[in-house]
Amino acid sequence: MSAETSQTCPRCEVAVEPADRYCEVCGARLPSPRDHVELDAAVVAGVSDIGKHHQRNEDAMSLAVTRTPTGPASVGVVCDGVSTSIRPDEAAQAAADVALQVLADGMRAGAAALEALTAAARAADSAVRALATDPANAPATTLVAGVMTGTTVAVCWIGDSRAYWLPADDEQPARLLTHDDSLASELAAVGVMSEAEAAESHHAHVVTRWLGADADPLEPHTIAFDSAGQGVLLLCSDGLWNYQPDAEGLRRLATAGESAALADAAAALLAFALDSGGQDNITVVLSTAPPASSDTTGHEGSTP
Amino acid sequence: MNAPEFTVEVFQNPYLASGAREVSAIVTVTAESVGTAQAAAASAAEIIIVDCSGSMSAPAAKLAQARHATSVAVDAIHDGTAFAVVVGANDARPLYPVDGTLAVADARTKDEARHAVSRLQAAGGTAIGQWLRLAREIFLTRPDELRHAILLTDGQNAHETLDELAAAIAACTGVFSCDCRGVGTDWEVAELRKISAALLGTVDIVPDPAGLAADFEALINASMAKEVAGVSLRLWTPQHTVVRFVKQVAPTVEDLTSMRRDVTAQAGDYPTGAWSAGESRDYHVSVAVQPGGVDEEMLAARVSVVQDLAAGAQTLGQGQLIAIWTDDVEMSTRISPEVAHYTGQEKLHQAIQDGLAAKRQGDVSTAERRLGDAVAIAHESGNQEQADRLASVVDVIDPATGTVRLKNKVVDADEMALDTRSTKTLRVRKQQPLPPTGPQEPED
Repeated sequence: MSAETSQTCPRCEVAVEPADRYCEVCGARLPSPRDHVELDAAVVAGVSDIGKHHQRNEDAMSLAVTRTPTGPASVGVVCDGVSTSIRPDEAAQAAADVALQVLADGMRAGAAALEALTAAARAADSAVRALATDPANAPATTLVAGVMTGTTVAVCWIGDSRAYWLPADDEQPARLLTHDDSLASELAAVGVMSEAEAAESHHAHVVTRWLGADADPLEPHTIAFDSAGQGVLLLCSDGLWNYQPDAEGLRRLATAGESAALADAAAALLAFALDSGGQDNITVVLSTAPPASSDTTGHEGSTP
Repeated sequence: MNAPEFTVEVFQNPYLASGAREVSAIVTVTAESVGTAQAAAASAAEIIIVDCSGSMSAPAAKLAQARHATSVAVDAIHDGTAFAVVVGANDARPLYPVDGTLAVADARTKDEARHAVSRLQAAGGTAIGQWLRLAREIFLTRPDELRHAILLTDGQNAHETLDELAAAIAACTGVFSCDCRGVGTDWEVAELRKISAALLGTVDIVPDPAGLAADFEALINASMAKEVAGVSLRLWTPQHTVVRFVKQVAPTVEDLTSMRRDVTAQAGDYPTGAWSAGESRDYHVSVAVQPGGVDEEMLAARVSVVQDLAAGAQTLGQGQLIAIWTDDVEMSTRISPEVAHYTGQEKLHQAIQDGLAAKRQGDVSTAERRLGDAVAIAHESGNQEQADRLASVVDVIDPATGTVRLKNKVVDADEMALDTRSTKTLRVRKQQPLPPTGPQEPED
């Protein structure tokens, strides 16, 4: 999307053609198309929002329904640019775009889900590394990517963006599939402090692994299981889970509305995070297994 | 053709408390490259203006050293550069070439100029405005891009009015740059500073005439290194913004605020003169904007480096001053270390000026208080150069608190050196540019 598109300044209401992201008359920051993005491919849908306190959306997402030799699959990616790095918004977008491309290509070619996910994470890592002009201050991002087919849920991640499995059957427990690459998580793991204490600590959100030129060689975490029964795979940035880390709590929020549409459930989760403070950027991607007859053309998308 | 490349780095804390309107930043401008075709095309002209009023012959060594220094300066001019030597007294006269034009430097013309300089005699008074006007006329006989003059005097501008001098300075502004040198201690710092400030040059004292030759040679070498002419800082501001000030703060403090030339209703140019390759200067820019709401962001100013060319102004580099309003007191009260450092250096300069002015008026208590302030800032910021010069005027009792006593006997030349060089700042060690906030830990 071009930055030269004519826009009306929300503050002084003058039509402007900004050379950068500010109004040429009053200096106000102009809304970016990335401030709020919605994507909806029915069986996979997502929303990404700037939140209430940040000046730009450094999260990015991408999703698609893709054909595989054994039937359709829904794939989704959520990335959260590391805000203390340079150009985190570009890092997240590049990672989300490249990961989706490689993931969809791999699935179409008949790769196993985990194989396609790992290849996608590596390609995303290379893309983010290529953005670096100064190795000492390189763009960086987290990544969580998921695949759902009629039989399998598979997830790959690096950093502290999360995946949750929310079974449709209330009798089955909802659960967190990922473990954060964060200082809080590592401190809790070695027993220095409890999970709750770590979450409260000043360094709770310091990520320990990420994609980027200044990161260690990539070793993405993966998890896969047979999805006996129906359910929803939730991928999200910490802008959501900060306010509700509990899987059951998230399932209740996602299913509270009357609509069965995933896009509506994603909107409900976003509304909850904004109502809770919206301190950070918020990105949510929800996917279900596509029915075997699912139309798999024209449903690829990414932010914006 | 390769255009010159300038980098513009902005150092600031963009976070403002709710309702706050002042946005300040240190802007570092560096001439990364002067461009290839550009450098070949830029033509340069140099005029040396030598005081030959009667006072120059007492002591006799002064005139002899002025002749020698001018010869050395002529030697240092690169072949191919246009040059002239002007002598000044009650009026001004072209010494070389005698027809009031510029000669192109080569072995023959330099030889002729040195010969003319060797016969220089001193007589008459001092009317510096006349000298500047003649230099201007001579410069305008050619369309050179880089025009630089050195002005040497030993006395006060006694033979014309302040208005006459001011009018001459105004006529020369934008035509050429001028470094001013006072030899001995009978000249007035404030007078030469008016000229050097308006003509984007330096002012300094050469207490001993024997030091003139080395100083002139250094000035010519610095001038010969300049390759990009007519460079300005262009400041764009949003509607309803007040520009509080634009100052150069390194290598020296020079207030450019009043030198603004409006370009549009929202943009104005502040002249910076000519630049050499690799040269870097710091500017302190401060604007007052209309406050936004909490969590709103706006562009408070855009600082561009522009060069005036026949085809119009060309932008060579750009930086942004951002304002973001926040409720987070920790973020809004953080002061950029660069802004804090230069605010201190500007106060140091002002304290020296105030202290010396009070001393001249015989107000000992104000002089000791303000020079004491200067000693404390120089001490705290590690500006040893200024601390040393201050110690030649005051006895320092406690540098940390700035407790000082005026010396019983101050050498005039030391006091004038403190005055002329009070503008020199210590350059700050830079942090990472924007975003300047937050721990350097990967946090998302």
